[in-house]
Amino acid sequence: MTTVIGVDVGGTFTDLVLHDAATGEIRVAKQPTTPSAPERGVLAAVDAAVPPELLARCRHFVHGTTVGLNALLERRGATVGLITTAGFRDVLEIRRGDRDDPYDLFWTPPPPLVPRRLRLEVAERVAADGSVVRDLEPEDVRRAAETFAAEGVDAVAIVLMNSYANPAHEARAAELLRQAGFAGPVSLSHEVSGEYREYERTCTTVVDAFVRHRMGPYLHNLDHELRVRGFAGELLVTRSGGGALALAEAAARPFETILSGPVAGAAATARLAASLGPSLGMGTAVAADVGGTSFDTALIEDGRLPLLYQGEVVGLPLQSPWVDVRSVGAGGGSVAYADAGGLLRVGPRSAGADPGPACYQRGGTEPTVTDAALHLGMIPRGHISGGIELSEDAAARALAPLTGPTGIDGVDAVAVGVVRIAAAHMAQAVRGVTVERGVDPRGGAVVAFGGAGPVFGCLLADELDVDTVVVPPNAGNFSAVGLVQADIVRTAARTMVRPLDDEALPLVERVTEALFERLAQPGAVREVDLDLRHRGQEHTLTIPVRLGEDDVASVSARFSEAYHRAFGHTLPDPLEIVTVRATGRVVLDADRPMVPAPPSGGSGRGTTRLWSFRRGAWTEAPVIRREDLDGVAEGPLLVVEPTATTYVDAGFAAETHESGCLLITRKDSA
Amino acid sequence: MTIVRTRYAEAHPGLGDGADPVTTEIIRQGLNAAADQMKQSLIRTAFSPIIYEALDFAVAFYDADMCMLAQAPTLPAFMGTLGFCVREAVEGVGGPAALSPGDVILYNDPYGTGSHPQDAAMVVPIFHEDTLVAYSAIKAHWLDIGGKDPYCTDTVDVHQEGTIFPGVKLYDAGRLVSDVYRMILANSRMPEMVIGDINAMVAGARTGAEALGALVRRHGLDTFRRCVARMYAHGEALVRGWFERLPDGVYQESSVIDSDGVNGTPIPFGVRVVVEGSSVTVDLTDCPDQVGGPVNCPLPSTVAAVRIAVAFLAGAGEQPNEGHFRPLELVTRLGSLFHPVRPAPCFMYGIPSDHAIELIIKALAEAVPESVPAASGGDINALVWWGNREATGEPWADGAPHPVGQGAGPSADGASALMYISESATRFTPAEVWEARNPWRIERLALAEDSGGPGRHRGGLGLDLSFRILEDQYLTAGLARTALAPWGLEGGLAGRPNRLTVEYPDGRAEDFSLKTRIFLPKGAVVHLRTGSGGGYGPPAERDPEAVRADLREGYITPEHAARHYPHAL
Repeated sequence: MTTVIGVDVGGTFTDLVLHDAATGEIRVAKQPTTPSAPERGVLAAVDAAVPPELLARCRHFVHGTTVGLNALLERRGATVGLITTAGFRDVLEIRRGDRDDPYDLFWTPPPPLVPRRLRLEVAERVAADGSVVRDLEPEDVRRAAETFAAEGVDAVAIVLMNSYANPAHEARAAELLRQAGFAGPVSLSHEVSGEYREYERTCTTVVDAFVRHRMGPYLHNLDHELRVRGFAGELLVTRSGGGALALAEAAARPFETILSGPVAGAAATARLAASLGPSLGMGTAVAADVGGTSFDTALIEDGRLPLLYQGEVVGLPLQSPWVDVRSVGAGGGSVAYADAGGLLRVGPRSAGADPGPACYQRGGTEPTVTDAALHLGMIPRGHISGGIELSEDAAARALAPLTGPTGIDGVDAVAVGVVRIAAAHMAQAVRGVTVERGVDPRGGAVVAFGGAGPVFGCLLADELDVDTVVVPPNAGNFSAVGLVQADIVRTAARTMVRPLDDEALPLVERVTEALFERLAQPGAVREVDLDLRHRGQEHTLTIPVRLGEDDVASVSARFSEAYHRAFGHTLPDPLEIVTVRATGRVVLDADRPMVPAPPSGGSGRGTTRLWSFRRGAWTEAPVIRREDLDGVAEGPLLVVEPTATTYVDAGFAAETHESGCLLITRKDSA
Repeated sequence: MTIVRTRYAEAHPGLGDGADPVTTEIIRQGLNAAADQMKQSLIRTAFSPIIYEALDFAVAFYDADMCMLAQAPTLPAFMGTLGFCVREAVEGVGGPAALSPGDVILYNDPYGTGSHPQDAAMVVPIFHEDTLVAYSAIKAHWLDIGGKDPYCTDTVDVHQEGTIFPGVKLYDAGRLVSDVYRMILANSRMPEMVIGDINAMVAGARTGAEALGALVRRHGLDTFRRCVARMYAHGEALVRGWFERLPDGVYQESSVIDSDGVNGTPIPFGVRVVVEGSSVTVDLTDCPDQVGGPVNCPLPSTVAAVRIAVAFLAGAGEQPNEGHFRPLELVTRLGSLFHPVRPAPCFMYGIPSDHAIELIIKALAEAVPESVPAASGGDINALVWWGNREATGEPWADGAPHPVGQGAGPSADGASALMYISESATRFTPAEVWEARNPWRIERLALAEDSGGPGRHRGGLGLDLSFRILEDQYLTAGLARTALAPWGLEGGLAGRPNRLTVEYPDGRAEDFSLKTRIFLPKGAVVHLRTGSGGGYGPPAERDPEAVRADLREGYITPEHAARHYPHAL
């Protein structure tokens, strides 16, 4: 076992979790995020929680960063030049011709990351089968290099048509660009993505070039500062697709980290489900992370992270693996309002951390989900972490104006309505991911975490007809716990559209050999997946294969099984390979245990008056500190701990599982 | 002369009065989410790129009174059109009493769907215990269901356009009716694709039916019905609130459709919009009698055109339900272009319908100048290709809409190369996907410099697309707005119209707009130049810095700048 630090930079707080291998101790720290220079918040958290001798013993520092994401959000990155095939300079601007808002007559796409004057064409052409239709014209590349030099271009993206099938021209163009004197970073589309669809691949390659400029210096600087403080281990950066990248790799392929924000919580849930699934009876686990601004959910089947191979960030598609975490604007800070037609609505707008819910008394006057939950006694009256005193009066004052326009009778009823609508939003997000994957969540468990997740666990269970809610230890910091459990993961992919027949698998083997060679990861566990589809269809399913063992029949059978699970039927049509995916995984610490509960605490004891949704009435209920929970306690009750509160409604019972998880079980049917 | 007024009556006045607003909101969201699940299921399992790439389909729920509960956002062109076909489909099989759980009804009669026979609908009745409570419905474009050609621009009656299924059970109480199934396959040039899409549609409609059934079970039928009534009242209040802010008055515009596709004669028509308090009446009686070519617009699509125009102006960005349309009344003339009667051909119904949408919006420019842009390229520029592969002899087919420049608005330039608003959620197929699938090589995919209509704000640029034909094949062109240039507003100048040119290997070139079965020999090059947006405000008022930026980025040439913006040079 090794000592590991995980630091996750969120929108509001920078969270640190440290697992000390020598003592088994867990430390957590929270510092305000410092958006203009995020490393300051990271280092402040380290300075606050990790003494130098402990930092010196750390083997890994796993970092979840939003630097790449912020570079895109703020449009602050490199001046990028694009080299592309003659006839195609406008691909980046034409996009796919669709609108984010189909009902907005004036919708305009965001300006392309590379302005038109820096999108330069070179004569060349490769066909879809990889054959060369026209040789690359070297003079065109040289001319492009001159323009880039004159325009002060920092980084160049090279994206040529059908390069996924034959990358020779891209490689040659890069060589010519260097010969012409360009010294900055060059991103080649076949290395960045290797998949077809020229707009998406161009966009991914340009994003890579754009954020690399910010990411490399940031990571090297952070690494330097940690070393100054005595850190001698390895800095790792979390990936959008789960796991982590070594520093050099993250600096070279920053687009792989851009969507990593909500992944850690899903990864922690997957880990929990993998180790405890059988004993907790959860083959299917629904991650339910309720934060200040959003509800993030992911469906974990058999302990596996749900992966997709194309993501989107601020309207830009990225051909990169990412964990399928869905986010809806239903968090503690989501604002409730009456719409023009007199219905009560919740979110997606959030009061955020500043000014925050009305009950924080920091200038917010709009009613939020947290105000409603406080009014209903679902959050203990008194203090919460961060030292903010919650005001019931302020919450009630904020909720009261909603009675008029909605015609709802009284503040209590408004508060109940706000919480029910927020829970319904969350449940719909969960149904979205489960239905799309053809999974019935009943029979599984809801894993509730994040500051407000455990408040909503029972309501979600009722909405989804699920019998079990699991509240992990460190529920409020559970996402950061996911960081200290990460493996080092690298992936590469190549589109190769062809029938799945007897000649296909040897070919796949050759392609994966080349991909693994590119990954250059000695000692890694190798995983190969194929994107397969029925011939004639477009959408694919990603199916794991065991090269050397599998044959066409066994791969086909696995596909049919997955297809049936997703869509409820099977088809006799022949199968086609679309993309080959290679994953190398270095497991850092196979035996790393579930992180135990932190030191005790939690505000409020005795009894409190709270609203039971099941009974539709106010009731007196006990407030129990999590570490004091002994045996089975019947709801309604509140279980409190330093970073979270668990609301257990009537009809549910709570007990502490041997893993340290709080296990809440439905005792009757809703 | 028969004048027809189409409007929507409140089915159960007062039913929603006592409904709990919280449960109403939860049910409203639940319906929208269920419709979205149906959409996702179809996208992920469909075989035809027209469905999964172009999203050429509609999914919706209707209640037992055929009022729209929810529709997922796909093609606005299909907005609210499913109501007619659900009603007709159910009548076709003998009415609601003849339905049982597990039924799937197939319906594709153009006079009930509003479109061509390729747009086939599947309707699934949803039961709660023994009561019929709702329907899930999917209408999607099949690649081929017979007809004189896979895509027709020159039909003279509806029977040339495809095989018609006037409401027949494809599944009877869960059992596949193989007689019907075999008839479908026997009537398609691409039976394998169609089988795949049928399965996807059935699976999608059933997914939706299950999701809606679960929602009713969760809340109970009585609560569900009351809340739905309240939800309709809510939608109605939102739209009425918007129209109340408009000055009362009569707003009119007229325009000309290029051609009927058969005789080549232009078709003039006018729209008249009457705003009165919170209600609006759209009158489309000022048009010729139904024409001999396939540009007649069956009533459901005329209704859709009016609803789209309203949704764009007044929809407040919400997923609509029946309530949103209650303030609307449509006036048509039986036997006319916008309300044809059988057997008038209507394969290219989208041409009059799309044209009417933009004209209704233009008519309202006087009432809401801040909400109305200049004209766009104005058409979806539909192209359909098919042939047999040289190496294998296998049949193949593909089809796609193409983006156009958008009109400039009162506060900004128009966007370049976006799909026309009636197909605004549709996506353009990547060239690499096309090349991997079809015997073509794309030679150019570019924004057309200088094409945007000049103005204080410039129109968006059109698209130039050229592709080389690598094997003999056929093309059907469905272009409209090739003669009428996209209009400017408030002194802005017009953009360029749509244009399709085929350049043959012998050097000969020919333009086409509406043309069926153009033979494309190997070596031919097809050039599609889509329309741009009109300008807004006088070009002399354009900010000189904006002109210089356009020059720097190459959106306009120096010649164009000298001609239209001399003040900036």
